[in-house]
Amino acid sequence: MLEVRNVTKRYDDRAVVREVSFEVQAGEIFALLGPNGAGKTTLLRMITDIIRPDSGAILLEGRPVDGATRRAIAYLPEERGLYRRSKVVECLAYFGELKGLPRRAARAAAAELLARVELEAWAGKQVQALSKGMQQKLQLCTALIGAPRLLILDEPFTGLDPLNVRLFEGILHERRQAGATVLLSTHQMNKVEQVCDRALMMNRGHMVLHGTVREIRRRYADHAVVVRAEGVLGGVPGVRSVESVNGESRLMLEPGATADQVLRALLDRGVAIEAFAPAALPLEDIFVKVVREGIGLDHGQSGPPPAAEPTP
Amino acid sequence: MNGDALRRVMTVARREFLTTIRRRAFLFTVLGTPAYFAVVMLVTSAAEVRERREVLRELSAVGVVDSSGLFAQATREIRTQLRAENPFAQARGSRGLPDPRSLSGGGQAGTIEEFRASVRFYPGMAEAEAALRAREVDQVIVVPESYLEAGGVRRYARSSSLFSGTDGRAIGAWLARNLVRGRVDSALAARVARPVEGERLYNLGRGGAFELKDDRRQLVDIMLPLVFALLLGMCITIGGQYLLQGVAEEKESRILESLLCAISPGELMTGKLFGLGGAGLLLVGLWSAIGALTAGPMLATLGTSLPPWILLLAVAYFVLGYLFYGSMMIGIGAVTNNMREGQQFSVWITLGSFVPMIVFTSIVSRPNSALAVGLSLFPLTAPTSMVMRLSAPGAVVPAWQIGLSLLLLAAAMSLALIGSARVFRIGLLLYGKTPNLPEILRWARRGA
Repeated sequence: MLEVRNVTKRYDDRAVVREVSFEVQAGEIFALLGPNGAGKTTLLRMITDIIRPDSGAILLEGRPVDGATRRAIAYLPEERGLYRRSKVVECLAYFGELKGLPRRAARAAAAELLARVELEAWAGKQVQALSKGMQQKLQLCTALIGAPRLLILDEPFTGLDPLNVRLFEGILHERRQAGATVLLSTHQMNKVEQVCDRALMMNRGHMVLHGTVREIRRRYADHAVVVRAEGVLGGVPGVRSVESVNGESRLMLEPGATADQVLRALLDRGVAIEAFAPAALPLEDIFVKVVREGIGLDHGQSGPPPAAEPTP
Repeated sequence: MNGDALRRVMTVARREFLTTIRRRAFLFTVLGTPAYFAVVMLVTSAAEVRERREVLRELSAVGVVDSSGLFAQATREIRTQLRAENPFAQARGSRGLPDPRSLSGGGQAGTIEEFRASVRFYPGMAEAEAALRAREVDQVIVVPESYLEAGGVRRYARSSSLFSGTDGRAIGAWLARNLVRGRVDSALAARVARPVEGERLYNLGRGGAFELKDDRRQLVDIMLPLVFALLLGMCITIGGQYLLQGVAEEKESRILESLLCAISPGELMTGKLFGLGGAGLLLVGLWSAIGALTAGPMLATLGTSLPPWILLLAVAYFVLGYLFYGSMMIGIGAVTNNMREGQQFSVWITLGSFVPMIVFTSIVSRPNSALAVGLSLFPLTAPTSMVMRLSAPGAVVPAWQIGLSLLLLAAAMSLALIGSARVFRIGLLLYGKTPNLPEILRWARRGA
């Protein structure tokens, strides 16, 4: 669906995106992660053809992103706004028209979308009459209108209450079922764990982590297993130490021992096991660890310390 | 530009046009501006006529100290006629062959009001001055002994108004008439007092024939280039301001990045130029319609000597001038953070289109002077000053100057369009800091 090949972007001889390559498959929800100033917004702007890379290529469905292919993309930037004096339905229909819908169809699509996000009663009101949360919902709708094949959403859930977050998660899943692909940039790691298939993490312009969410969590897992069980867990071969909190035990393994061996040993001892899983770190802990320790950075060419997102 | 791009451009243009003309401020500008000018003109012209009348009305008695003895037989009354002309009154056509017979008294519609002042003679300055101070007379004329050889009439008044020429002319006519009174017949004496009464001036017109220069026609000929250039300048300026405002508002509301995924910066910029240019054109069209409804009957009667090709050239200058100014305004809107900051920069460019208004009399009276030619070639001042030159009475502008002026303006417009599109692309995403001039020029040259 989307292919980013060795993309680099420099501002004033300072590389803000360095040799980034990844692919997003059709129908997946892909997360783009990274601390502030990592180069995420610059990368998203290049994918949407708002700015051009200095080198490398970005292909959408096998073709370079340009005026024609860009229509398949919808982008909800982090810095976003609306026409405050426009009527809600007109504002949304305008975005629909710009994305290629005929005027009537754009208006009908706008009305339908407003109904879907429970804003139909506000269709004829001025945008400035909406609350901040409602405006946030309307902004999300401006990205959703026109049935784009690639949805690029930068911090889409900011300012939404849990009910509306669930509403939009539901809409994203519907769109995914219908064949759309979602590229999500967010700092809400729990959302990434819940909804994303794969993730890419950037730091100082470098690509520092890439893979399925499950793989990444496994890669950074401690050499341990988490067990919920009835019985004595100490003294099992291959287990170095045991920490128990709230009925859940963390078994630190000896070097060379595997989870399979430990599970078999526990069953042989007659321990009644309710749950057994490799101990994976939460994504948030991995994020902090990778950024703090500079994992994946090429220090010979490391750029400036993380700062505000560079401007063109 | 392919069909899809054109459709997006027109979508932006329609939205910009409708949003602008639906604003209350637009309606206020449509009606308020002509109303303001009408009130100002009415008040100033009425005040002038009233002031002239007052000057003559207040001149009820004039003291004369005649040391020359030339005015011993002079009449003891000054009669003055004031013609209260109505510029909107029906006037005779002045096109075609200048036939003096058909034109006698033509075009002089209006009412005649007569004023009379008594003349009192005093033997010396002391008595006359006392009478003036005692308000027995309003003015004193002292005719020196050597008047015949050297002139040198002195006039004393308690005060004089801006229109003191009105009473001065009345007294001058009395002196002229009475200088020859009793020495020549009365008809000759009357003519000496008003030697150029009923004068007609014929000028070589654009068609190669001599045409009568009529007072009201002359007014139209002088005012038309100014009004034309003023409308053009205002249209360019107002359209430019709309553009600046539109871009600044979108930038302030942080909506541009969302838009730029759906539409390219070039398409967005073109749509804005079309839509807001259309709004500016509609504004000027409505003003012209209001003007035609009010002053139309007079213009229709008098006719103008402006051929249609000048109107076509004016349209060409409007389009090029608007695109030139509009591109620059868009560029300014893109690199500044808000409307206020944008206006601080744009005011210097806007002033450019109004420079010809400041030197309007010079351009219209000498349309081929170095100043007029220079201003009509320089792209910032070309649209308004060339239109002034073309529509100036009797002006013949060489074709090469029109061609060169259009070429320079088109070149400047193309550079501004390309440069602004590049600056627009980068500047739209720039928040919080205003770039310096070298940075802007670098963007304009190289783009993103």
